[in-house]
Parts: sequence; C-alpha cells; structure tokens
Amino acid sequence: MRHNKNLLILGAAATLSLATVSCKDSFLEVPVTGQLAGTQLSSKAGIEGSLIGAYSILNGRGDRLASFANWVWGGIRGGDANKGTDPGDFSTINPIQRFETIPTGDVGGTWQRKYEGISRANTTLNLLKSAPADMSAADKTRVTAEARFLRGLYYFDLKRIYGNTPYIDETVDYGTGIEKVKNDQDLWPKIEADAKFAYDNLAETPPAVGRANKWAAAAQLAKVYLYQKKYTEAKALFDLVIANGKTSNGKKYGLVPKFADLFKASNDNNEESVFVIQAAANTGSTNNANPEFDLNYPYNTGPNGPGNCCGFNQPSFEYANSFRTGANGLPLLDGSYNTAANAVKTDMGVLSKEAFTPDAGNVDPRLDHTIGRRGLPYLDWQDHPGADWIRNQPNGGPYSPKKFTYYKSDRGSLQDNSSWTPGYTALNFPIIRFADVLLMAAECEIEVGSLTKALEYTNMVRKRAANPASFVMRGTALAAKYTINEYPASVFASKASATTALRFERRLELGDEGHRFFDLVRWGIAATTLNAYLQYEGAAARLPTTLGGATFTAGQDELLPIPQPQIDIQGKDILKQNLGY
Amino acid sequence: MRTTVYRLSQLALLSTMMLLWSIVVVAQDRRVTGKVTGTDGPIPGVNIVIKGTTTGTTTDVNGTYSLSLKGNNPTLIISAIGFKSQEVSVGNRSSLDIALSDDATALSEVIVTGYTTDDRRNVTGAVSTVKPRALQAQPSGNVEQQLQGRVSGVTVISNGQPGTSSQVRVRGFGAFGGNEPLYVVDGVPVGSVNFVSPDDVETTTVLKDAAAASIYGARAANGVIVITTRKGSKTPKKLQVTYDGQIGATDPGRGQAMLNPTDFADWTWRQFRNTASQAGIPVVYSHPQFGTGSTPVIPDYINVGGQAGVVGSVDLAAAQLRYNVNPAAGSIYQVVKANKAGTDWYDAITNVAPLMRHALGFTGSGEAGRYYVGFSAQDQKGILINNRFKRYSFRVNTEFDLSKKVRLGQNLQFTYLSVLGQGGGAGGNGVAADENDVLQAFRMPSIIPVYDEFGGYGGTAAKGFNNPRNPVASRKGLDNNRGFNAIGFGNVYLEVDPIENLTLRSAVGLNYSSGYNFGYSRLQYENSENNSAFGYNEGSSFQYAWTLTNTAAYKRKFGVHVVDVIAGQEALNTGAGRNIGGNGQNPFSIDPNFITLNTVSPTGRNVGSNQFKGVNFYSLFGRLNYIYNDKYIVTGVVRRDASSRFGANNRTGVFPAASAAWRISSEPFMKDLTWVTELKIRGGYGIMGNSNNVDPNNQFSLYDGNLNNSAYDINGSNSSVINGYYRSRIGNPDAKWETSITSNIGFDGSFFNNRLEVILDVWRKDTKDLLFQVPIPDVIGGFAAAPSVNIGKMRNQGIDLQVIARGKIGSEVGYEANITASVLSNKIVYLAPNLTYLTTVNPGFRGINPIRNQLGYSISSFYGYQTLGLFQTQAEINAAPTQDGVVKSDAGKNIKGEGVGRFRFADINNDGRITPDDRTYLGSPVPKFTGGLNLRFTYKAFDVEMYGYTSIGNKIWNQSKWFTDFYPSFAGAAISERVKQSWSPENMGATIPIFEAASNFSTNSEANSYYVEDGSYFRMQNLSFGYNLPSSILSRVGLQRVRVFVSTNNLFTITKYQGLDPSVGGSADTNFGIDVGNYPITRSVLGGLSLAF
Repeated sequence: MRHNKNLLILGAAATLSLATVSCKDSFLEVPVTGQLAGTQLSSKAGIEGSLIGAYSILNGRGDRLASFANWVWGGIRGGDANKGTDPGDFSTINPIQRFETIPTGDVGGTWQRKYEGISRANTTLNLLKSAPADMSAADKTRVTAEARFLRGLYYFDLKRIYGNTPYIDETVDYGTGIEKVKNDQDLWPKIEADAKFAYDNLAETPPAVGRANKWAAAAQLAKVYLYQKKYTEAKALFDLVIANGKTSNGKKYGLVPKFADLFKASNDNNEESVFVIQAAANTGSTNNANPEFDLNYPYNTGPNGPGNCCGFNQPSFEYANSFRTGANGLPLLDGSYNTAANAVKTDMGVLSKEAFTPDAGNVDPRLDHTIGRRGLPYLDWQDHPGADWIRNQPNGGPYSPKKFTYYKSDRGSLQDNSSWTPGYTALNFPIIRFADVLLMAAECEIEVGSLTKALEYTNMVRKRAANPASFVMRGTALAAKYTINEYPASVFASKASATTALRFERRLELGDEGHRFFDLVRWGIAATTLNAYLQYEGAAARLPTTLGGATFTAGQDELLPIPQPQIDIQGKDILKQNLGY
Repeated sequence: MRTTVYRLSQLALLSTMMLLWSIVVVAQDRRVTGKVTGTDGPIPGVNIVIKGTTTGTTTDVNGTYSLSLKGNNPTLIISAIGFKSQEVSVGNRSSLDIALSDDATALSEVIVTGYTTDDRRNVTGAVSTVKPRALQAQPSGNVEQQLQGRVSGVTVISNGQPGTSSQVRVRGFGAFGGNEPLYVVDGVPVGSVNFVSPDDVETTTVLKDAAAASIYGARAANGVIVITTRKGSKTPKKLQVTYDGQIGATDPGRGQAMLNPTDFADWTWRQFRNTASQAGIPVVYSHPQFGTGSTPVIPDYINVGGQAGVVGSVDLAAAQLRYNVNPAAGSIYQVVKANKAGTDWYDAITNVAPLMRHALGFTGSGEAGRYYVGFSAQDQKGILINNRFKRYSFRVNTEFDLSKKVRLGQNLQFTYLSVLGQGGGAGGNGVAADENDVLQAFRMPSIIPVYDEFGGYGGTAAKGFNNPRNPVASRKGLDNNRGFNAIGFGNVYLEVDPIENLTLRSAVGLNYSSGYNFGYSRLQYENSENNSAFGYNEGSSFQYAWTLTNTAAYKRKFGVHVVDVIAGQEALNTGAGRNIGGNGQNPFSIDPNFITLNTVSPTGRNVGSNQFKGVNFYSLFGRLNYIYNDKYIVTGVVRRDASSRFGANNRTGVFPAASAAWRISSEPFMKDLTWVTELKIRGGYGIMGNSNNVDPNNQFSLYDGNLNNSAYDINGSNSSVINGYYRSRIGNPDAKWETSITSNIGFDGSFFNNRLEVILDVWRKDTKDLLFQVPIPDVIGGFAAAPSVNIGKMRNQGIDLQVIARGKIGSEVGYEANITASVLSNKIVYLAPNLTYLTTVNPGFRGINPIRNQLGYSISSFYGYQTLGLFQTQAEINAAPTQDGVVKSDAGKNIKGEGVGRFRFADINNDGRITPDDRTYLGSPVPKFTGGLNLRFTYKAFDVEMYGYTSIGNKIWNQSKWFTDFYPSFAGAAISERVKQSWSPENMGATIPIFEAASNFSTNSEANSYYVEDGSYFRMQNLSFGYNLPSSILSRVGLQRVRVFVSTNNLFTITKYQGLDPSVGGSADTNFGIDVGNYPITRSVLGGLSLAF
C-alpha cells in the first residue's frame, strides 16, 4: 500500500516533469551576467562612465610600451636610455633599441591601445546622441569636448609613432565599414580639429582634477601646431596659455619651485600639471598605478631600495654625459661632453665591494634627479651601490632610472604592494607640464618671435633647476659638484645658437619623459644625432654587445612600421606600410 | 521546473532509506549439494542464491557447495566474477553439478551508453570499453587518466601531479578549443570525472563515431565517455562486502644534470672569453661572486649582509646578532655560505611521495531491490613539497521494483575533493608550459644552499645569479594553504513498463559543487626579485547543474525481426552559480589563526564576486535499431538540439547518423569456417554538433567596467578610482552549431573460440563551420572580444585497432594480450578568407613564439627558423644569406647576429636573406601513433600483468633549454651540463651553440628548431604481480576472495627526449606540447590487498 502511494506520487512527478520540459523559447534565453548591453549605458552615468573608460587607457593598461609615457618609443629610441636589464628579459625590445624593429611583435600593442582609446571616445560620442533628458546641455558639451580632446590626443601619438593611420571617428564601426578606412589621409587636420573643439568648449575648471580643461586643450593644440611647424599659431596660443593658463584644480600655471618635487606622488596635481595621467595605488588593480613603469627600477635592491626589479630603462652613458656643465654653469653645447675628459666618470666594470669615487666635475643638478648612479643618494633610500643594483652591466650600463621612482617614505601608501613586484605607484605622469610649455613656447619664439622672449622662457626653466633647495645633498654638503647658471643673452643672440641651447635644455629638463625621439624627428636631426649616439654607446668601452653596430636609417626609422598583423587582416590596399619596412 | 527538481531529489533520498529495510527471512527446508566447475576445473567462491530470496552460499575450495532449500521447485542463481551467471531449476534433485562458462570476451559484453544498454554483437558504431579490473593497479586519482593507451582512438596526455586533469581527446581535435569529450556518469553529463572513485566504476565505455555517439548529439562531437558505477545485480545475491586497498610511494627520480659550482664558475669565465673573442674586444672578467681575475675564485660565502663573494671566515656569532630575515623589521641581514659541493635543487623540492587508496563496497540484492554502497578514500602526495590530492567519497546506488512493472532507482555520491599545491592552468593540464618550481630548480645555481647559516632561506639575493627564486621556499610557503570541493552528485529515475516490451524512463540528475579556498603568500627576502607584502586570499564558490531526461524504449522480436526503438527528450543546465573571493595584505600578525579578510590591512583589501548561469540545452532524440535474422543490423539516430549558446536565429541543430552491420558469421556459408567465432562488418556515417568552443555571450554586444581595464582616478585621489565602461564584446547573433561529419568502417572479429579478437576501425572526421574568433582589426578597439563566426574546417582521420589474444601455454599458464593501436592525423583545412594562420594564438615564452596554427598543418604546430646547424667559420658566414631578421630596405648593418658557433638558419624562400618570412613548420605535438600493450599471465593462483604505452611521432618544444643552455637568458642563473658539449673552435661540429653573452637573432632570441625534440616514447606503465589466496584457507576464515598484489608504475621510459618527461600537455588545444617546467610522471611502487566476503 505504501509502495502504491509512493508510486502515485512519483508517477505524478514524472508526468509533471515531462510536461514542464516541453520547450519554451525563454528556457533557451539565458541572461548575460556581470556585463551590460549597450542600451544600459545611455544614461548620464553610463555616458560619464564611458568617458572615464576613455581616460583610463592613457597609461596603456598594462601594455608597458603603449602608455603616453613612451619610455621606449620616445625615451629609449631617443637615446635617453637603453632597455637595460638582462638580454633575455623582454627580449623583443632588443631589436627596437637597435632600430631593427620588425613589423610583427611589440609595435602592435601601442597601435591597439591607442585605437582602444579612440574607440572609447567614439563610443562616448555615440552615446551622447541618445543622451537622456536629465543630462544638461553643458554636461553634453563638456563630455563631447573631453572625448574629442582624448581622441585627438590618441591620434597625436599614433601620428608621431606610425605616421598616418586610419582615421576612425564616431560615424564608422564594426559592420559599417570600419575595416575599409585607409591610412592615406593626413591626420593633422583631424587632430587639430579635435584639440580646437576641446579648447573652444572646455571650461577652465572642470568637475574633477583629472579631466582636461580649456588650458590643457590649448597647450595640446599649440603642441599640435608646433609639430606641424605652424609656429605663429602655436606661439599665439602658447602666449595665452602662459599668461592665463590654470590647472584643472584652478592653480595658475607655474613651475614647481623644486625640480625634485615634480616626481613625488605627494605633490601630484601641482601648478605645473597641464595634462597628466592620474595614477592611484592600492585600488585593487595595479593597472591604475603606473603599470608601464613597474619594471623600471634598480635590480636586487632587497628592501633597501625601490622596486627591486627589473632593471629596465637604464639611462645611457651619453645622456648622463650631457649633464656635464662648464665652470660657467652652462651645458657643453658644442657636444664635447662625450670626450674622454668630459664624460661622467662611471663604475662600469667595478664591483660594489671595490672602491669607487664618483665624478667630481661640474654637473647640472638635474643629473641626480634623473639618473641613479653609484655613490649618490638614491632618493631617500640609500646611496646607489653601483653594480650590486645593476642587473647586467655589460648589457645595460651602470645607471638606474630615477624620475618615476617612489620614495621610501611612500611605501605602502603611494605605492602598491599587491603584485609580484612592488614597482607600482600613485605618481602622476605628465603628458604636458608647464616647463614643457615654456620650452615649446621658446621654440616658437626662436622661429617667429623674439629671441629675448625665448631666452626668458628657457631661463625660467633653468632658474628653477638651479634652485639650491632642490639639490641632492649628503648631510649638509652637496652630493656632487652642482654647477648651473642661466643662459647669458649671448647664447640667444643668434637663432642657430639659441636653437642649440633650447634643444639641449629640452633634453636636460624633459629627459626620460618620452619626448626625446619625437623632438629629434621633428627637428630633422634624428639620423645624425642618433647615429652619433649609437656609435658612442655601442663602443667597446660601453655596450658593444647591446648596441654595437646599430644604425638609424634616415627616411625610415623615424616611424615605426604599421603592425603587420593589422595589414594582414585589413589588406595591403587598405593599410599601406611605411617606407622601408 | 525547479520545484519539480527539488521534489524528485527529495524522493531520491527517501528511497535510499527505504532500501535499508528490505531484509527477508526465509525458513529452511531440504538440502541440495553439488560442484561448480569452469573450463579450468572447480571454481571456488561461487555465489549461489535461491531465486526470490536472500538465502545462499558459496562454493568451497573444491567448488562444492551445500544449501538448504525451500519450496517445491526452487531456482538457483549461480554467479561468479569472470563467468556468465546461470539460473538452474532444482526440481526434485538433491545433487546438482553446474558448469559455468567464461565471461571474459570483449565482444560478448554489454555496452552501456547511458540511454541504452546494448549487446556488443548488435552494435554498429565505433565503441570501446575498458574493464575496471585493468585499471585498479594504476594509482592515478582520475578515472580519465587511466584510459591512456587502453582505448584505441583516445589520446591522453597527462602529467605527474596527483589529481591533475589531462588532455583527453577522442579521435583527434575537432575544433580550435572545447575538444574535451563529454563525460556521462550514470546518465548525467558532467564536465569532469575527478569526483568519481575508480573503485566505484563498473564500466567505462567510449563512444567514438557519430553512429555510436550522436544519440548525445549536442555535445557528442568530441566523443562520449560513459561511466556507470557499480550496482547490485538483477539476480538476487546475498550481501557481499569487498575491500580494495593499496599503499605505495612515488619516487621523484633525478632532475636534469646541471653544472656544479666549480664548473659553473669556469663556464661563466669561459663565456667572458667567448664573448670578447666574438666581439673582437679585450676580455673583461667581472662577477660579484667570482671576482675580476683571470680565473674565477669560488667564495666561501655568497652573501654576508648583502656583500657578495666573501672569501675567508665570517664571525658567525657577531653576524647572528645582526641576522634579520623579516623585511618588515628593517634591513635584511643574512649569512649564506657557498655550497661548494653543489645543491641538487630538484632533489630539494621533491620527496618520495606516499599514496594510499582504500575502498569498501557493499553489494547485494533481493527479489525486489538491489544496492551498492561504496566508501572510498584516497590520499596521494605529489613528488613536490606541499602537493597533495585527497578524495573521500561515499556512494549509494539502489534500485527497487515497486511493482512488476515499476522500478525506482537512484545513484548518489558525496565527494570531498582537495587538490593542493597544483600548478598549471585548466586543472593542472597546463603545468608544462609554466615557469614553475620545477623550472626554478633547474635555474637555481648549485652554489646557492637551500638555507642560510641561521635557518632562513638562501637565494639569489646573493648577487650575480639573476632572478630564479628559491623553489623550496616557494613550496614551503604553501604550508598553510587549503582548498577543497564538496560535491553532491546523483540522479533518481523511475522506470515503468506500461505494456510488454515498452519501458518509459524518467530521470533527474543533479550535480552540486561548492568549494572553499584560502592561501597565504609569504613576504620574501631571499630572492633578487621579491614580493613586497605578506598576502592573503580567500574564496568560495558554488555551482548547481541539472539534467532531466525522459525516454521511451520499445524492443520486440517478431520472428526473425528485432526492432529496438528509443525516443527521448532531455533538458539540462550545465551549471549556474556564484563565486566570491577577496585578498589583502600585511595583517598585524601572520599567525594563520589570526588572519581573515577582516584582519588584513584595509589598504589594498579587495573583494569581488562573479555569477554565472550556465548554458541551457533542450534536445529531442530517437534511435531505431533493426536486426534481421541476427545477420543484418541497421541503426538510425537523429537528434535535435537547441542551446542557449546561440542566438534565436540558429539556435537549433539537427544531427542524424546512420549505420549498418553485417554479421557474416551468422551466414550459412560461414558455418564451415569453425575458426571464426564471430565476424561483423560495420559502417557508419553521421553528423554531430558541437557548441563547446563558443562563449555563451557570443550572440551579444556587451560593455564591461572593471578595475583592470577601465577604471581611472579622475579625482586625483592617489588611492581610489572611478569605474569606467568599455565595449567588451562584439556580438554575432548568427553563430550556429559546428558540425562534424564522421564516417567509420570497421569490423569486429572473434576467432578460434574467442582466443583471438580483433576490433578494427578506419575513420574520418571532417569538422566544418568551425567557430572561431576571426580577428577583427584593432582600429575597432582591441578590448572587445571578437565574435566567433562559423568558418573554419578541420580534418581528423585515423585507424583504431584492438587485438586481444588469450589462451594457455601448456596446461598451467594462461595468458591474455591486449593491444590497442591508434593512428591519428589532424589538419587545419580552412580558416577565413586570406587567413593562413590563427593570428590570435601566438603564445610567447620569453620572446620565443613557438606556435602557429596554420593551414595544412596540425593544430598547435611548432613554427620558427629551421637551423642548419651552427656556423663553423667566418667564411661560411660570408657565403651564407644575410641573417639579421630585419625586413628594412636597408640591409647594410655593420654587425648582424651572425657569428661562428651561432645558429645558421635556412633560407626557406631563397631570397638571399634570413627574415621572418623564412620561418617554417617545425613539427607537431600531436602523436601520429599511440598504443598500449597489456600482457597478463596466470599460473595457478599467481598472475603477472604488464602494461606498456607508447606515443610516436609527436614533437616537443623544449623551452627549458632557453633558460639553461644560453648564458644571456638571465645571465647568472644555473647552466646545464649540456653546455660542456657546446661549440668552440676546439669542438666544431657541436650542435649546442657557443656559450657567450651575446643575445640576438642568431643566438637565443628566436624560435628555431634547436628547441624541437622528438617526443616519442615507450613507457612501461605498470608491472604487477598478484596472488589469490587458495580457497582452502579462505573457507576457513570465511572469506570469498583474498588477493594481494605488488605493482610498479612507470618502471622505465624509453625516449630520446632530453627534458624531464616526454608527456607534455597543455591547457589549450591551440597551444600545447611546450615544456617549460613539466611535472614528470615518475616511478611508483604499490602494494595492495583485495578482499571479498
């Protein structure tokens, strides 16, 4: 009886189950989890979020070469540094620093990240087309202008790095012919248009310090003019920026009194920050904390030094030498800084346990804010011990990078320990800082304005560098023989002499900030400068196995190759490869 | 529907309890005696039960029995392991002798597919079975691992980690991913079988072609592995208790030969000389440990408070006062002595690893119910420190006859599963490709001791040895890590026979799994590259999958016609659930008893969670099997599947298959060929569908926002970010099922009265509409996943052969040889227009990109420059094509990578220059041939069994050589003994390049054939000796069976491969066969005991 009762229940259950499985379409529609459909973003918050996404890619999001920091494309290829570390580490940079770049491999990441930024800006612009009623016209204008500012910025780097690339705006997308857009259009007018729109529409004080404001757009637009040698337009704009410019947090543009304070996370968003990448530590992802610099520290420091790893981006002998000054406190503009008599003394081939006396000659004080060298205090850590902190001297030389290194006092707060290596920081990276604006303005003045004004701007920068309060000290004594003076009018008496001095000053001031290679190219002196550099750096006494025999080929190495996989996908008729590749 | 599912599972539990009541007492009456014999004489231990009761007995050592009877005409059920059961009516007899016939032949077995149970003689598709007995002596924890070489047509690539998953492929690689076969346990599809205890398995069946498998249509394209667990027999049997236990140990064997400290220093110096002479510059010697002189000085201490290369004694008492290995407590101060004798790092990270497995089984059956209850425990350590696999399982299988026409049954298993210290992606499968602790052991210079002078760890914090990390410290750091899964799995079914020959069956299967894990990462100090915080992580997850199956089966014989029809419907969800995890750093105290996510530092504490809903399938299927006169067999299968993986446009696929067989041996003209016992020719053709290799979200265009990809500190806070959003996926609503068209021709033959059996299949599988993510240009934005589209084509073909020979040598020695052999060819036939290789798959290993999945070659093929040996002279270099890897128009570089003793590459396109266009196919990791040979000899109560496995024709990319054979690949790390055979002017003709610092195109920076090695091997996987205790002793202690065995696994491996072990898998089918740090399969010794009473 009991069995029969159970049987009835079971029979009913089985019948029920048979009935319920009769297929309903809804059963085969399983909702997406954890992600959004496009329509869900067309709210004010969604549009703002999309714009944040466009900002977030500025640092390359983990592709170390794709950041606006450009430490490989602008720095290493400009002779500021070599790859450093061990030959086997990130070995694909080895041919890049020798100007033997191949169209496959690492050239693709930067392309991809820049276009991701462009895509996010375009997505934002498209979302705005169906923006909800609660979004004010002012907000719409601001978001449009910020998105276009960023888009223009991404194209600016693409243009500098690859030459002309396909111009993708918000009107094309997947399925509407995006893959058919050729790279045969000059990007400059587009870049200019975006920067100009941003300049015309952005407010002076945006809702957040990380956002581009009117003056960031102005400086960027002027920089775009400068790259096109439109000096007159550039100068007019730089004049406005210098006279009226304010940071996004409302500070009047100015120079941070102490040069060293430019590279402290605790001094982020200072008066010199025209447009910077905002970095933040301990957010849950090191991709927000300068992931592009995570390996650019001395090696095997233990807890006595920063980063501990991995020895990338080691400043070059040649760059260190350029900080040599004469007794007059001026750089050796004739290029004699590389002569045996003037070259900065190094501990190449000297073990740390062996004695070494650092260079005793005159040097620009920025040397020891830019380059870590044996016997000099390495920020607030300890004296750089030389070879013990260098991973492979014969491969990378004796120096360590310094500008974007965190302080011992910043550990755990403005630095992030959550990953396998500690080299993640909250230190903002300046895409444009006010000293850069002054030097760009000086360049315009030399070309189409007043040499006196050029001298004035240049000396503003030098004067700040010469502030003794910022000199590296050991106790109460200077750590080295810092000798620096402002340029006398005589140096800026002729256009040629002024040009030499200005260019030299850009290098000293902005070294290792990703500008050098692009500057050399736009000045048209890349081949001569870089071949001289390679010859010096690759000589037997320095890095023969790393750089020996490497040459820069004019008319070819100014641009990177268009990534081959992209040509393979889109077709040779769409993407035309750059000359020589 | 959910509530239905719950109700049915409740019923399953109820019915389990009901089983335990059914004990029937029967009054005794008269007696019958007799003897049971087989072909070899009397059989002891035979089970004899009176039908309809639980009364019974067993035969003694002489095969005789005596049993009290009840009733007028009782029937005896006689059964014994290895023999066919019989039912005999006693009648009035008081003496009854019984002859049992052998049940050993493969071709007379029953094929259990999950939906159906068929006689092998009537099967028309390609099906293989594995007997669990053959597998018991294998200590592997995973049932899948035991299939290696046992089933023709199945490739299994595994590694030595206990509890690892393996690359199991049935008949090749049908797609670019998702090629795992479908596992079906007791009728319920599952993703993994690691929760199943090998001792619970009754049968394992592999369905290989469309004719056999496509009843599982939707997910059958990669073959189906059907596992059924033990049950009580249909014929009544009294309770039998079995115990199977084994205890043993695995020996790690030896590591690779590395230079001792003296040789290491000498070869470092030799490198300085080679480097200088290659560059034409004066030699400079400089090493922080070995000094700057023209001969290296081996120091006494390699690290004294950060100082390297200390020669002489150290005041240890004074040093101890300064000793500090806690980075949080200030500067590190260690004293690390040079280990001049040399540390064997492989030895240091490995141990002889104990293992044990115990299983208790209870089976029995009465007239109206049958059951199996199993308990099993396995505890197996891996050869690496802190590598362990544990599984405890409890299983109850029951079936009740509720009436003559209604049966209710259930299978239920609870498993606790814990795998600790496992490396490699995809459940351990990818371990070979990782820079793991095994690789670290071959990168740590032998001069470094494991420990410093005061008990801390030694390591590359001592200058000059680059970046290997102390692998002993890494392994021991896992001490307190824990993780486990608790799994509830089972089904409940109801079978009703409403009319004769018709069975309706309704089954609900459930699979619940939850997991918990927590782990710590110690604050390192001993390495050159250390982490900088003490880390803690904790996480939990659950998943719930269900399957609902209804079938109707009708089987009837009309004269010479037999019709067998099954139709069914199935709905399932592959698993929905959630997981949550958090991590943090630097708790106040590192005492594990203190640490929780609450007690870690608030700075850098992160918590996250995910949810997933699984994939829903709805299927209808039918099969018709028609047999005419026991000679001609025709089978047709059709299945209609719909899956939520696809958009509404193409959600449904219909997959038919047809097959036929001709049992020639039943023809009259064959009657004279008495040596042919059974001969059947089979042929099948069919279409199967596959959807594994497409993301369920593929149909949607989506946006995502997360900390990694799109957050930004827009407010300049330095410590927090605002989330941003980005396009994460471009959808393709039109994607449809991949289809495989399989054709199979085979025959099953049994000859000489079953002394020889042959099963042969020749097959081809063409996959079309392969789903893969055709690359989209980066101008679209590189963060959006490209949609999978149906475009690729792949071809697999091969031959599967199984031969079994059995018989007697003389009168006492029995033998059985079981040979399996599989030939496989895999080829990518088509990708997308203008696409010649998968650009999206290009894994890099320290700048070496060894894989290219390209048209005309197998999946995961190796690719790079073909070396023509090494340059011997400058003249040879001058005459050879320019070798610089640069494609620039200007080839006039002064120094190229070329040099004597360096690689000379082949100019494949004959353009006079070596450029990336000269890269070419270098081999495939897919074995061309795999096979197994199992030999079993019996002599009286003894048996000897040996099992060998071979894999032939596969190549391995030995990436570990990049680390150990080239100085500039992290200069200062350990050096292989091989380097002693490297090129030098005195050793021209060497195959190993000159040992020097230069790193360029012609030395260590490019993928080339130097890394490709022949991966063929033969392994003696198992050799075991068994002894069955004589019945004379057994009957005295009341036991039915006692068997003891000793066994050794992986006794030896014959291979030319230079790495640790030639069994090199991978976590993805487009990327495997690369050995960076493979976890070897090593020798183990086991002893075991098997009891039944």
